[in-house]
Amino acid sequence: MFSTPLLDIESKLNADIGEFAGWQMPMKYSSYQEEHMAVRTSAAFFDLSHMGRLRVKGNIDQFNYLIAKDIRNTPVNNMVGPTAFLNDKGGFVDDVMSYKVSDNEFLIVTNAINREKVIHWIESNSSLEVEDLTFKYAMIAIQGRNVWNFIEKIELKPLEFRLNTKFLGEEVFLLSRSGWTGEDGVEVWGVPETISKIIQRLVSVGVRPAGLICRDSIRQEMGFVLYGEDIDENTTPVEARYWVFSLDKQYVGREKIIEQLKNGVEKIRVGLKLKKGERSIPRKDNKIKLLDSEIGYVTSSIFSPYLNRVIGMGYINSKHAIFGYSVNIEIRNKQVEAKLQDFPFI
Amino acid sequence: MSEIVVGGKYKILRDRYYSETDEWILVKDNIAIIGITDYAQKKLRDIVGVELPEVGREVKSGDSIAVVESVKAAADIYSPLSGKVIEVNQKLLDSPELINRDPYGEGWIFKLEIRDKNEMEKLLSPEKYSELIKEKEGLK
Repeated sequence: MFSTPLLDIESKLNADIGEFAGWQMPMKYSSYQEEHMAVRTSAAFFDLSHMGRLRVKGNIDQFNYLIAKDIRNTPVNNMVGPTAFLNDKGGFVDDVMSYKVSDNEFLIVTNAINREKVIHWIESNSSLEVEDLTFKYAMIAIQGRNVWNFIEKIELKPLEFRLNTKFLGEEVFLLSRSGWTGEDGVEVWGVPETISKIIQRLVSVGVRPAGLICRDSIRQEMGFVLYGEDIDENTTPVEARYWVFSLDKQYVGREKIIEQLKNGVEKIRVGLKLKKGERSIPRKDNKIKLLDSEIGYVTSSIFSPYLNRVIGMGYINSKHAIFGYSVNIEIRNKQVEAKLQDFPFI
Repeated sequence: MSEIVVGGKYKILRDRYYSETDEWILVKDNIAIIGITDYAQKKLRDIVGVELPEVGREVKSGDSIAVVESVKAAADIYSPLSGKVIEVNQKLLDSPELINRDPYGEGWIFKLEIRDKNEMEKLLSPEKYSELIKEKEGLK
């Protein structure tokens, strides 16, 4: 079991620590609903130190063959993502963010659960050199609808990043600007002592700490997937409607993608919206039914405090994927009505 | 001291009984008020929904009587005693988070008219329940 290097300061902030993907991480501080609303109305910060962070060096063409998006024309100091490493059946090895440091150096952020798998996958499919930075730096994200009311406006366009720069007066390894939560904000990597100081600054100006449960509710509102829940080695980006690939170059998994785009897919990921007032939460693998036919299964679901209703996602037979359809989800032998809808929910 | 705190964070009040399945039971005359313990709500994390029993329902001790929906899982609530449900906490339907906020007070779940007071012998004292939590949490 690993533990975030920010545990000390987070415990002082009353973090409720729990286990996620083999890491001890803050799950929440007060309630995930309050933290969620902070992201949607003001600003919050998340500890993401559990996510794998790798430095990859070597021939750009080799890297470009492993990754599903085309990174050759990405300007230096820009992020490419989300994108993915796919297996030869088009299934997700992992979905990742990548950062172009130079033509022969990239940084990659992997899901926590896939860090070692991705290292092994890159090393066994290329001569690229991989260095694991996960335990060297802590990583936080500061995001929210009014984030710039709390922190200095940075000189970065969306998807730009800088290495070895200053943030809130501190020397950090990486500062990037992306809006994974659907809101604007920044991600910061730095040595744990520095990130702890930054957290103190953030708290003192009113940026709220948020845990991984809130991260889950935020991503579900946006329709973003979680590896291991909504996507895995047996799911393709076409089935997941997760546009992380290019068609203009060769890469591992491309043949399957092309085949599915030409011939269509059997199953497709859709959004599920329950009625207001319904507080039963569908759980993973609950059946989705239309009249009496089983047409799919649930992969994620949560109560959205912003929408004040339960939302979720799952896979259904593509023939039934008609937004606006009412379906039933079987929750503990009870039929609960839901509407099929597209993402994002907000 | 009116409460025991286990592991620095799990509160147990001394004025009531407890069950092995983490319910608390506050007995007044022939009526039992029942809810889930501070330990249970902290383990479940954010509670976002509750299914309540019907008023008038007859239950036996050990029957599953209500469901608490949390971000982690749906948890069954078991009736620690036999009897008739005479009242349920309707406030929880709109504000299930009351269980997180005030598990021993506003977060009560249902009231039961006790059938057989002898059943109370198998309920746990606050001390016994604190021992049980220590065991579950490896704090012994």
